[in-house]
Amino acid sequence: MKKIYLLLSLVSVQFVFSQSPKFGKVDKAELLEKHYDKDSSANAVILYKNQETYFVSSSIGVELITEIHKRIKIYNKDGFDKATVSLNLYKSRNTKERVSRIKAYTFNLIDGKIEKTALDKDQIFKTEYSYNYNQVKFTLPNVKEGSVMDIRYKISSPFYFNIDEFRFQYDIPIKRLEAEIRTPKGYNFNAKQKGYLSFSPKHTLKQDNAIGMSVDVLNYTLNDVPALKEESFVDNIDNYRAGVVFELVSIERHGSSGRYFAKTWGDVAKTIGSTEDYKEELDKTRSFDDTLDAIIADKENDIEKMNAIFKHVKQNIKWNGLDGKYFQKGIRNAIKEKKGNAADVNLTLVAMLRYAGIDANPLIISTKDNLIPFFPTVDRLNYVIAYAYINSKRYFLDATDEFSDVNLLPLKDYNWQGILVDNNKLVWKKVGISTPKTGESQYMVTAKLDEEGIIEGNIKSRHTNHSAYEFRQNFKNRDLDAFITEKEEVLENIEISNYEAKNTDDYKGYVSESYDFYKESSADIIDGKIYIQPLLFLKINENPFRSETRAFPIDFGYPMKNRYMVNIAFPEGYVLESNPGPVAVKIPNGLGEFNFVSKVIGNKIQLSSSLELNEATMSADSYLFLKEFFNQMINKQKEQIVLAKAQP
Amino acid sequence: MPHKKPILSIFLILIAYCSFSQEESLYDSSTIPPELMTKANAVVRFNDVLIEIESNDRMKITEKRIVTVLNEQGNLATQAYSGYDRYNKIKKIGARIFNAEGEEIKKIKRRDFIDHSAVDGGTLYSDSRVVAMAYDPVSYPYTVEFICETETSNTAAIPTWRPLTSYYVSVQKDSYRLVDKASLGLRYKEKNLDELELKKSNTASSLQYLLQNAKPLAPESLSPSLYKMIPQVMVAVESFSFYGVEGKAKNWKEFGDWVYNALLSGRNEITEETKQEVLDMTSNIEDPVEKAKQIFEYVQNNTRYISVQVGIGGVQPIPALEVDELKYGDCKGLTNYTQSLLEVAGVESYYSIVEAGTDPIDLEDDFASLEQGNHIILAIPHEDDMLWLDCTSQIHPFNFIGDFTDNRNVLIVKPDSSEIVKTTIYPDSLNYQLTQADIKFDSYGGIIAHVTRKTEGLRYDNRFSIERQSDKDVINFYKKNWGYINDLMVDKYKFHNDKTHIEFTETLDVSAQNYTTQTGDRILFKPNALNQNTYVPNRYRNRKSPVDITRGYLDEDVFIFVIPKNYEIEAMPDNVEIKNKFGEYSFTVRQEEGKLIYKRKLLIKKGEYPKTDYEDYRSFRKKVSKNDNSKIVLKAIN
Repeated sequence: MKKIYLLLSLVSVQFVFSQSPKFGKVDKAELLEKHYDKDSSANAVILYKNQETYFVSSSIGVELITEIHKRIKIYNKDGFDKATVSLNLYKSRNTKERVSRIKAYTFNLIDGKIEKTALDKDQIFKTEYSYNYNQVKFTLPNVKEGSVMDIRYKISSPFYFNIDEFRFQYDIPIKRLEAEIRTPKGYNFNAKQKGYLSFSPKHTLKQDNAIGMSVDVLNYTLNDVPALKEESFVDNIDNYRAGVVFELVSIERHGSSGRYFAKTWGDVAKTIGSTEDYKEELDKTRSFDDTLDAIIADKENDIEKMNAIFKHVKQNIKWNGLDGKYFQKGIRNAIKEKKGNAADVNLTLVAMLRYAGIDANPLIISTKDNLIPFFPTVDRLNYVIAYAYINSKRYFLDATDEFSDVNLLPLKDYNWQGILVDNNKLVWKKVGISTPKTGESQYMVTAKLDEEGIIEGNIKSRHTNHSAYEFRQNFKNRDLDAFITEKEEVLENIEISNYEAKNTDDYKGYVSESYDFYKESSADIIDGKIYIQPLLFLKINENPFRSETRAFPIDFGYPMKNRYMVNIAFPEGYVLESNPGPVAVKIPNGLGEFNFVSKVIGNKIQLSSSLELNEATMSADSYLFLKEFFNQMINKQKEQIVLAKAQP
Repeated sequence: MPHKKPILSIFLILIAYCSFSQEESLYDSSTIPPELMTKANAVVRFNDVLIEIESNDRMKITEKRIVTVLNEQGNLATQAYSGYDRYNKIKKIGARIFNAEGEEIKKIKRRDFIDHSAVDGGTLYSDSRVVAMAYDPVSYPYTVEFICETETSNTAAIPTWRPLTSYYVSVQKDSYRLVDKASLGLRYKEKNLDELELKKSNTASSLQYLLQNAKPLAPESLSPSLYKMIPQVMVAVESFSFYGVEGKAKNWKEFGDWVYNALLSGRNEITEETKQEVLDMTSNIEDPVEKAKQIFEYVQNNTRYISVQVGIGGVQPIPALEVDELKYGDCKGLTNYTQSLLEVAGVESYYSIVEAGTDPIDLEDDFASLEQGNHIILAIPHEDDMLWLDCTSQIHPFNFIGDFTDNRNVLIVKPDSSEIVKTTIYPDSLNYQLTQADIKFDSYGGIIAHVTRKTEGLRYDNRFSIERQSDKDVINFYKKNWGYINDLMVDKYKFHNDKTHIEFTETLDVSAQNYTTQTGDRILFKPNALNQNTYVPNRYRNRKSPVDITRGYLDEDVFIFVIPKNYEIEAMPDNVEIKNKFGEYSFTVRQEEGKLIYKRKLLIKKGEYPKTDYEDYRSFRKKVSKNDNSKIVLKAIN
């Protein structure tokens, strides 16, 4: 079976090669096309994209050249935004990326004839967009429904060590894509494929006369690439986008032994560990002798010392919002200015922990907004946290966040694993980060229902771990009135009074809330019977999972457990007529569980219910189970207890 | 005139002296009056603006702004930035940061400000740029003193005095001073100043306002927009200059003449080829409205919206000839182009300036200025009325502007007789939705419904775009639209967009497996299956702002259920009818030949009411929500 597949794909590659379209010449068939038959929802499609990336050496030095030819078909007005091209060109203080040879045409079919309109050079706009980027923008003339556009340009980059990711998937489908990269012999790049589509490159070796060297050539050919669209509960959609990422591994020249970059995660750790920031700075302690001594003086053990130092760093160095695994300011300046990037904050933490005699080291990671690293890489790790080892126990610390705690990291940190750099014990390796603890929320409801269907009562709730973390984030700096108003709206317009939330400013311990509520028509009174949903306004009304299928994992951020205990006193003289049966719904492999037991004892309804989602991330395979799980839970929560007037 | 000057300058010196003596304490956050702290994220300690108009093409603006930021959410209130381009130059800009105790902790010089393009996402290119302070606060509160001096030749754009511009920001002191040294004919309009404690001293050539101790505003639902409630003084001069183009206007008529003569004239030429195309297209049509419709659709099919703003291009359209060639333009360019094509066909039309947005904001009847208006539409006179076209939309029907530019005063520009005119008003009952459904129960407690839903007026505007969406998005739209029905399945759907009568019809088959609740031998269900309105406005313990229901609508629903065999009705809600000044609500349920017929009507009227009416409106919506939730009980016949 596999062989046949291979053969087929070879055939199609051949076919593609013979058909590579010429820039500036389109087929009538392309203009006549009314929609994309493989995805009728596409407003536009990339008919063809060709990318060639290669090295040249000139008077300016070595440059990385990327030539692009894109042919786009616009089916309807909602695809018009694809007629605008925006190129961000990186610049540093001394040098910058440049774009040249911009050429573009729009083709329309007018009375059976192909009409071609060229992009006017005056309509190409260049802006100094920000400190690090110039931007070149243009839009094609004469664009209509049905137009085909040919766009070509060339980007020259002096930053040849960094080859940008090859992107093979966009928010519109691609019919045919060819990409080629030529790297000079001796410059060894690691090329790693990503995404959920399967494809494989063709590798050849050839002589490049322009640079007088032999080059490694990788050719990628893809056909009918589906569009990639945003979905909810996704950590970072770019993790699932088809493409190739490159990392320079080594440079070998004849005669010399060559420079090696990262090949394994151990190499990565060693490379980072051998930088000055990690080698020298972390054990320089003179800058905080006095202050730290006072803080740790009365602490009895390492755990207490760690907690005190963690708190001290949080209070004294504020994160400036910038990621980084290397210092922006350095320990001394970070302490002086009371702020810094992630490395300034967390490497200072490491240095201070070491000063207190704790076995502490940096752990380099890639945060959720920065993709999962697909292979051993230095460049693609963007962040550092602190790691301590005390009495055979592991502790992970990130002091950049107001509400983080020891072993309770900001959610963006739980993306992947970490690279441990322990220069002292000569340990450089990849280690797992302990998964987030379950965020628990408990709700205790005590209420009284009258014969009009009006309910009054009190709710006490308690949130731990990341549930508390999220509560605190959301509560912070809010106008309390506005916060309560929003809560009233979410909870089916109950009226809240005597609201109180405790321990919201600290980062330790649980958050507790208490408030009284009042709601009219929270039960139906029909024909002398009372119909009531025992979970009241705490039920979930809408299934968050609407799509029928799912291609990517579902990311909840952290495992959670919600428990509800509801006690409702109802008017004298009513007796139970029917009661929703108890239920326990489970997601296979212990991923989740929903329990619901309601009882009527005397004139009281007692409900005990719980919802558990036991993993922070669930695979796409579990999607349908999860969807059905929510569905059954929602239906159960909608069921009503029926109370009837007792016969006298 | 000359004798006034010395008096004025003495006054200015006095003010300056007073403010100087106080300034030291303004850096200290502990000196903020407590009433300005509650519900505030930031406090403007002192905002001091001085505008000096030297001549009709030279204006100096000096600003000093001291703001204490109380928490993260207040950072934006520092407003420590300034825009610039070729005609607006920054002479001086800088800032100082103070800690909570008022000690200076940092000085930020111009070269440490960040300079970037002011282009937003919707613009391809603009030459305007912004210089902004970059400061990461390390602790709160902190205080910023921002100073900025700019010079501009654009005397047509005099900054409006607007001391309160955002929620949760209070003002300790705000001073605005303006001197028209060149006697260019100062004009101004005050709005919402009545209830404020402020000092004011105006002459024919100078303005002076001082506001002190203004508490912060907090957002409330159904309140008029912030823009409509905040105090402001709009200012203009009669003789002005804008990007090198001079003008003179003291009212909208004269302002319209300037727009016509200086910005529009001579920009209506198009190619012979297009001219011929227009003539071919319209020569067989008698009715000018029909001609206009043909041309509007031609523009919709052949052009698109792309915004490029350079210099005077911010207010002047690119020539029609250029749109003809590129087939794109911004609102000015596309409107001017459409107008040029209509002219060829002999149809009169007027370029019109409007403040667009879902919140209808009028151009001030009695105060003309360039600062008002952000969009251009086209008016076509027809009988005693106007037809309105938004030439930037490729999908809206002819003469349908929707809620983006409806119901507001706009300036129609025509030679020698420009005037303020109100755009289309969509009356409450014509923003109409009719939902009809035949509904059957399946044997497992689910329902299967065949639904027809028709929308008109502004309801059309909010609905018709779904016909352009993908299958997946359409299905998700319905799942969200009827989000209260768990497990809704859309089995089939079809749309009909009648652009002539402006009616959009959805026909669909939907089902929901668990719509009813079965308890023992009873089936419990809500007869309002497909238009439950659970909206209840937020509750405020102390409502501050008046009630503004910006637009009204009318819903009518007819749902016919087939009662399953072997079941009879055990309980049914009584018919309901509510009428009050906010609107009407009613429903009836009756049984007829094995069917249950549920009819419902909800009319919400547009209106403005005092804040004391808020609770009444809320209670009306609570009743609607409760009644939409009524249930019917069916019982098995044994």
